[in-house]
Amino acid sequence: MNLPNYFLADLPPEASLTGPLITEACLTMKRNRVQFLAQRSTSDIIRVLCEVAERWQKKTNPFRLYALEEGPQQTGFSRATLERGIDDFFRQITEENLELLVAQELGHAKRLDTFSAGKEERIGDRTSMVTGPDLLVHIAAGNLPNPAWMSLILGLLTRSAQFMKCARGSSFLPRLFAHSLYEEDAKLGACIELAEWAGGESELENALFAEADCVTATGSDETLAAIRSRLPVRVRFLGYGHRVSFGYVSREMMSERSLPKLVKAATEDIIAWNQLGCLSPHVIYVEHGGQLEPALFAAKLAEELAAREAAEPRGPLDTHSAAAIQTRRAFYEIRAAHLPDTQLWCSENSTAWTVIFENETGFQHSCLNRFIYVKQLMDQEELLRHLEPLRHQISTVGLAATDETAPKLATRFAQWGITRICPLGRMQKPPLTWRHDGRPALNDLVTWTDWEKDSV
Amino acid sequence: MTDLLPFQSFARRLRDTISCASNQPESLGKNEFQSLALDLFRLQYDQIAPYRSLCDRRRKTPATVSDWKDIPALPTSAFKDLELSSLPISERTTVFHSSGTTEQRPSRHFHSAESLSVYEASLLPWFQRHVVPESQANLRWIALTPPSSACPHSSLIHMFEAVQKAFAPGETQFYGELSTDNTWEIRFSEVFATLEQAIASQQPVILLGTAFLFVHLLDELEERGITYQLPPGSRLMETGGYKGRSRELPKAELHRLLSQRLGLPDSAILCEYGMSELSSQAYDRTCFDASPRRFQFPPWVHIVIVSPETGAEVAFGEPGLVRIHDLANIWSIAAVQTEDLAIRHEAGFELLGRAAKAEPRGCSLMAG
Repeated sequence: MNLPNYFLADLPPEASLTGPLITEACLTMKRNRVQFLAQRSTSDIIRVLCEVAERWQKKTNPFRLYALEEGPQQTGFSRATLERGIDDFFRQITEENLELLVAQELGHAKRLDTFSAGKEERIGDRTSMVTGPDLLVHIAAGNLPNPAWMSLILGLLTRSAQFMKCARGSSFLPRLFAHSLYEEDAKLGACIELAEWAGGESELENALFAEADCVTATGSDETLAAIRSRLPVRVRFLGYGHRVSFGYVSREMMSERSLPKLVKAATEDIIAWNQLGCLSPHVIYVEHGGQLEPALFAAKLAEELAAREAAEPRGPLDTHSAAAIQTRRAFYEIRAAHLPDTQLWCSENSTAWTVIFENETGFQHSCLNRFIYVKQLMDQEELLRHLEPLRHQISTVGLAATDETAPKLATRFAQWGITRICPLGRMQKPPLTWRHDGRPALNDLVTWTDWEKDSV
Repeated sequence: MTDLLPFQSFARRLRDTISCASNQPESLGKNEFQSLALDLFRLQYDQIAPYRSLCDRRRKTPATVSDWKDIPALPTSAFKDLELSSLPISERTTVFHSSGTTEQRPSRHFHSAESLSVYEASLLPWFQRHVVPESQANLRWIALTPPSSACPHSSLIHMFEAVQKAFAPGETQFYGELSTDNTWEIRFSEVFATLEQAIASQQPVILLGTAFLFVHLLDELEERGITYQLPPGSRLMETGGYKGRSRELPKAELHRLLSQRLGLPDSAILCEYGMSELSSQAYDRTCFDASPRRFQFPPWVHIVIVSPETGAEVAFGEPGLVRIHDLANIWSIAAVQTEDLAIRHEAGFELLGRAAKAEPRGCSLMAG
């Protein structure tokens, strides 16, 4: 597939970007926005998004085919992993879900189109509407495409011109999505720009930030601090720092009946995007004292990972990532040889998957790419004590608990500072209405205008 | 009581091998290495219980292994918590620790008088061959580290002391000291005075130090606005990483700056690769030989560069993890799996650096 040169990211790698080029791109998009996007209705935008999403799910769609063909080389994900990720994401882009999102975030489905009033506003004899930033800039990180796709969708809903800066070598999938939008509706596509450069290029970034009205960024705390310090005061900044996630299985669930389902669910979370997202689990905690021993969960998880590797292989790794897994395995192999309550299961002659079982509750960062810790613990309080150094760095808990125990566990997690609790097996599939890191998705982007009616 | 005789007899055999192979590296044939490695494996398997349990677990025991490449290698992380030594406690006169400010628990390599003497038997000929190949060098020795009295657990400083004793008896010179926060500091004024004396008398110098000490030296030279032209025949040997003790310069950049500031040709700058867990060292060139840098161990040490993905040996030109089989590690473990990545070449290897964040954070191997 030959993609036309619509975006800066389509240019050959040797093409050099300059500050004036970035400024020009921003100004063009802003003009296009006024002409083609600002006056479009929410329902119209939603219709276009749903059509694009539907096409992506069709097996013969050229963008999908290209993503699956070229993706393994470009992103390091195997075809099967990409296919699953694409389907999981686009399946959710439906009219109903997008309308729900707008209503949830803004209190009224028409809030982006016209002055409108929810129940509370009607009582106060007031209406309000919201407007998005003229130019929304995204500093996207890493190879996982869904955060980038979602950012572009949110920006279209707020009728913003958007400039997405991708990290070196990571623009492939966001770019394909942008091309698919362009193909569906060239006017919308003309309000989007994508480019790739290594973060910190001050000439390019200063030009970009000077035109921006709102900047979203994903990255390490240092990266976010550096970006924030360079933004003009009028620019709104939304930073999403690195987060980690874990699974939690309560003792009531550790029964012969539930175990196979739980293990399948956990495997789902581990293999989705090869565990590389902030929502992927590093550790699955299993409460001690159930019908079955927590170590059995680990053993069954290893079996399931092995089976899934045959159907949905993880794909090749770069030398450094493979070396990190191999070296970490060597460490646990020695530990397992000397401590009865440490066990190690792993793929033979490859680093495809690894399960470490430990009777030590401390949170451990996994080296990812399907390397999972299973740790047994007494109860939630024991875990929270150990997690204290990571407070505010945890995103998601994939919870497996009964209807009786779940509310108590969830409330405690929430009060402690965890921002998302979902069933085990759905960690990497947040709904569209998910509040990223506990922040509203659309509401953080927009500006409200309240109109107080003259009631005299 | 542990029977040490077999180890001593192995040590005698190895010394003979080393003395032949030092002069003629090719004299140590594949078969001889194979037989030495398998014999040593048998001894270490029998005498070192934690090693035996790993070998049993991998089903690689003296009864099943017939090629040295199949002898189980212990990861360097295992040296932190396990007592990997066949030396009785009463004979352990020295212990070398791995360096690094971020390490909570260092690796430990126990030595006795006899094992240190094997260490030196392995060190000296290979050092001489690469660093002081001339018969009469008449060098002024400058080690930038503190002396061993200040850092008794540093294998590097022990090495610097041993080579100075062997090649410049009576002139042991250490220009570093331990600061109050236990970091290594250079007494710059003394170093510079010595360098200036040597330049005045045109006596060639040899500088020994770690990469981060050389960065400190460069910074100080820059601050004082000094550039030297060291006398012909001068040389420099650097080793190790930065370990957060200085800003990090890529090796080529470090070498370029050293060459500029000290007036040394690049061929006079050598890198050493060693670690506290080993008893032998590799050098990336012979002094004044300008051929491409490739690390080579002495013939009594063999290495395999293994694919981190499959564990199999990589092809020439491919990267992988360095696994080292050091026959001079008699009373410890000969087969050591490092966390270092390197490219395999026909002659030697090229280091790429350490595998990232290999050890789980805050995790002690044996913590329950």
